[in-house]
Amino acid sequence: MWKTVLRRIMIMIPEVIILSLLVFLLAKAMPGDPFTGSINPKADPAQLHHLMEMNGLYDPWYQQYWNWVVHLFHGNLGNSYQYQEPVARLISSRAVNTLWLALFTTVLTYCFALPMGMYAAKHEGKLPDTIIRFYTYITYSIPFFVILVIGIWIFGYVLGWFPTTGSISSTANPGISSAGSRLYHILLPGIMGALFGTVNVVQYLRSEVIDAKRSDYVRTARSKGVPEADVYKHHIFRNSLLPIAAFAGYSITGLLNGSIFTETIFSYPGMGLLFINSINYRDYTVITALVLIYGILNLLGTLLSDIILSIVDPRIRIE
Amino acid sequence: MVKTKNKVVLAAVTLLAAVTLAGCSNNSASSEDTSSAQVKLPTAYKNSSATNSNATKTGTLKLAIVNSSPFQGITDPILASNAEDSQAFAPGGQNNLFNVDKNYKIIDGGLANQKLDRKAKTATITIRSNAKWSNGSDVTAKDIEYAYEVLGNKESTSSQYSSDFENIEGMAEYHAGKSDTISGITFPKGETGKVAVIHFKEMSPSMKFSGNSFIWGSIEPYEYIKDVPIAKLAASEQIRKNPIFVGPYKLDKVVEGESTSWSPNKYYYGKQAQIGHITINVVSQNNIDKAIQSKKYDTVVPSAAGQLGGTDYKNLKSLKNYTKVGMPALGYSYFAFNLGHFDTKTGKNVEDPNKKMANKSLRQAMMYAVNVDQVSKKFGNGVKWRANTLIPPVFSKYYDKSAKGYPLDIKKANKLLDDAGYKKRNGSKWRSDPKGKALVIHFGAMSSSATTEATYQNYLQQWHKIGLNVKYTNGKPQEMNSFYDTLQKPSQNAMDIWLGAWSLSSEPSQSQLYGVTAPFNMGHFATAKNTELINKMNDKTAWNDKTRTQTFKEWQEYMNEQAGVVGEQFNYAWQPVNNRVKGFDLSPANNEFYSDLTLTSSKLK
Repeated sequence: MWKTVLRRIMIMIPEVIILSLLVFLLAKAMPGDPFTGSINPKADPAQLHHLMEMNGLYDPWYQQYWNWVVHLFHGNLGNSYQYQEPVARLISSRAVNTLWLALFTTVLTYCFALPMGMYAAKHEGKLPDTIIRFYTYITYSIPFFVILVIGIWIFGYVLGWFPTTGSISSTANPGISSAGSRLYHILLPGIMGALFGTVNVVQYLRSEVIDAKRSDYVRTARSKGVPEADVYKHHIFRNSLLPIAAFAGYSITGLLNGSIFTETIFSYPGMGLLFINSINYRDYTVITALVLIYGILNLLGTLLSDIILSIVDPRIRIE
Repeated sequence: MVKTKNKVVLAAVTLLAAVTLAGCSNNSASSEDTSSAQVKLPTAYKNSSATNSNATKTGTLKLAIVNSSPFQGITDPILASNAEDSQAFAPGGQNNLFNVDKNYKIIDGGLANQKLDRKAKTATITIRSNAKWSNGSDVTAKDIEYAYEVLGNKESTSSQYSSDFENIEGMAEYHAGKSDTISGITFPKGETGKVAVIHFKEMSPSMKFSGNSFIWGSIEPYEYIKDVPIAKLAASEQIRKNPIFVGPYKLDKVVEGESTSWSPNKYYYGKQAQIGHITINVVSQNNIDKAIQSKKYDTVVPSAAGQLGGTDYKNLKSLKNYTKVGMPALGYSYFAFNLGHFDTKTGKNVEDPNKKMANKSLRQAMMYAVNVDQVSKKFGNGVKWRANTLIPPVFSKYYDKSAKGYPLDIKKANKLLDDAGYKKRNGSKWRSDPKGKALVIHFGAMSSSATTEATYQNYLQQWHKIGLNVKYTNGKPQEMNSFYDTLQKPSQNAMDIWLGAWSLSSEPSQSQLYGVTAPFNMGHFATAKNTELINKMNDKTAWNDKTRTQTFKEWQEYMNEQAGVVGEQFNYAWQPVNNRVKGFDLSPANNEFYSDLTLTSSKLK
C-alpha cells in the first residue's frame, strides 16, 4: 500500500506544476495589477510604476514565473502587495482562524447529522423520518447567508447571547481567557453552520442504513437473535459509514477552504475572505499561493479518502 | 482624526461610493434649490449632560469601522495605503505634526510649528519641547526627516511618494539611490534637537495647508525603527505589533485584521485623554445598522470620506439615544468625458478635437439631461446631493455655493443638440453627429449595488430621452480593476463618458487631478485656460488668500461651463453618536478630538 501512496504522490508533482503554471498565467491575465485603482489625488503614477518595476511586474511572464518558482523552492512565497508582509505569515494567521471554525463546525455537523440519519432510517416512512427529511431539505434550500444574517440578528443583536464580530475579544488576555474568547466567537457561526450543513451526511447515511437494513447479512443476524440495538450498532452502522468515509479525506483537507459568507457577516478574518480580497486587489502572490495550497490539499484529500476507505472497508485494498 | 493625509485610496473610495450611492442621500428636491431636501447635520454633539467621571475613567468607548474585509494592520501612515488602517489606528494620532484650523490651514500649537520663509525658500519645523513618543522617548528633528526617507527610499513599499517631493533639495538624488541622505533637510540643533529645516527649490502657497504635496504631515520614530530596513518596515513588529505613537492614546492590543484597543498615553504632549479605554472593531457593511441599533457601538470611527451612506441614514435616523453628526465629505463623484490622450513622450495631456465628445454642446446637453437631483432624492435620504461644482463644500472657503451646475433641463439639452447640429436624420430615433454619421456613445461605470446600477439605468434612460444612443461600455457595468485599467491607458476609446469618484486630500490644489501633466486627468481635459487657472492656484499671487479663493471660484465656473468633468454628487461624512458620549466634535479645527471625549454613563444609552 505504501508503494501505491508513494506513486500517487509522485504523480502529484507534475499535476502541481501544471496547476501552478495555469494559476500563474490566469492571475496575470486578469485586467489590472496590484496597483490599479490605488490612486489618489496626491499620489504619483510614476511611483506606482516604480513599485511595479521594483517587484518585477513588468518582466515577461516566464521570467516572473521562474523567479516565483525559485523563491518557492527557497520556502519563500513572496510578499503580499496589499498587506506588505510575507504571504506565508499572512496565510498562516488566517489559516489558524479558519481551521478552528471549520473543525468546530465539522465535528458539530457530524454530531448532529449521524444520529439524525440513523434515527430517520430506523423509522423509515414514519413521522420522525418525515420531519428529519423535511428539515434537511429546508436547511439545504435556504441560502446560507440568509440564515447567517437572521442568526446574527436574533442571537447576536436582539438577544445579545453571542459576539457578532471577529475571532476573539479585543480585550481578552493571553491564556485561558483568550482560548475561551475564541471558542465563544466561533459558537454562533459554528452551530449555525452545523445545523444547516447536515443534509449530505443525513441523506447518505439514511439511504445506506435503509439499504443495509434489507441486506442478507442483517437478516441473518436478526434470525440468529442478535438484539435489535446490536444489529444497528455492529452490523448496519459500520457498513453505512462507507460513503461518508469516502468523503472524509476531502472534509479534512477542506477544513482550510474557509467560508466567504460566514467570514463576511461575522467580520471573521479567514481564508475565504483573504482569497476574495486578493483577487479583488490583484494581489498575485497571495492568489497563486492560495490556489496552490488548495490544489495540493485537494490532491491530498483524494489520496486520504482512498486510504481511509481502504482501512474502513476490508474489501478495498490499495495495491 | 483623519485630518489630512492623502491616503484615502481610490479603491476604497469607489467601494464606498458603490455602497453609499445605494443609499445615497439626497438632496435636492427642486432643480432650482439644490439644498432643499438635504438634511442639515451639526458637526458636533456637545451633550448637555454632565460627565460621569467614574464612567469615563473606567469605561470603554466602543467604535466601529465599517468594512467588509479585515484591515491590513499597517500603523505607519506613510506605508498604509487603505483608509481602514488609518481608522483602526486613529486614536494614536497618526503621528500628525501639525494642528489645523477649519480650512485645514496649518496653525501653531500642535506637535510642531511650521514657519515658511519665502525668501530663503525654507520651511522650519520646530517640535515642542515636551513632545514624546508613547514609549517615553523624545521626538527629535531626525524623526521629521526620517519620514521623508521612508517615503522616498528607493526600496520603500510606500505608494505615496510623488515627484512633488523632488522640490526638496536632494530628494531626487535620494529617491534615485544616488545619495544616502537628503541634503535639503538640515538640523540646526543636531539630529536629536527639535528643529528641522527643509530647503526647497520653489515655494508653493499650498504649503500653508495640511495635506499638501510638498511637506509631509507626519513623523517616524527613527530611534525605534532605525534597525529595520525600510523595505521590510511594513512587515515589522515595530509597525504591526508594538507600534508607538505620539497621539492621545497608546495601543494596548491589536487583533490582526479585526480589532484594536487603546488606553491613554501618559506621554501625550497635549490634553490628557479622559476615557479609560477605546476599542475599535471591524463591522461588516451588512451588519452595521443592526449593530448600532442594538447599541453595540457608541459610534463609528470618524472618517473624512464618510463610512455610512444614505440607506444607513434611512435606517438609523430615528434611532433613539443617538445623535446624527456630520461634515461634508472630502470627496465627490463625477462624470468625465474622454477628450484626448496622454502623450507619454512629453508627459502631457493633449486634447484631440476629433474625439467624439469634443463638442462642448454635446457634453452640456448630456449633463442637462440627467436628473441627479431626483436620483439623489430617491436613494439619498438627505445625506447625498447633486454636486454643483468640483470643489466639495467641506472646503468652505473655496467652494462656490452659488454655482448652478447642471440641474435637469431637457428642453435646454435638446436645444443645445439641435443648435450644434446633432439631429435625427432619415427617420432614425437617434441623433447623428453634425456630419450625419451615426453617433453611439459609450458609458463606463463600475459594477456596484443594485441601487447604484438602477441609477446608471436612469441616466441611460435620460440620455435616450434626448435622442442620444448611449450604451454601456462592454454592455454592462465593469469590475473596478478593468474600469481603471482601461482609463489609465494613455489613450482609450472604450469609454466616452464615465462615472468615477475621488477622495481628496485636505489641500485643494487641482494640479494632480486636472493639471495638464497629471496622469490622473483621465479625460485629458487640458485647455490653456484650465492650465492657467490651475497654475494660478499656487503661483505667487496665491500667497494672498483672497486671490487664491478668487482663482478657485473662477476655475469652478470655468469647469462647469466647459463640462469636461462635471460633479455628480456630494455627500455627508455622517455618523450616529450615542448620547452617553460628550464632547464629540468633527470639525477639522478640533485638534484634540480624542482627548475631548468623555462619557456620561458607563453603559450605552
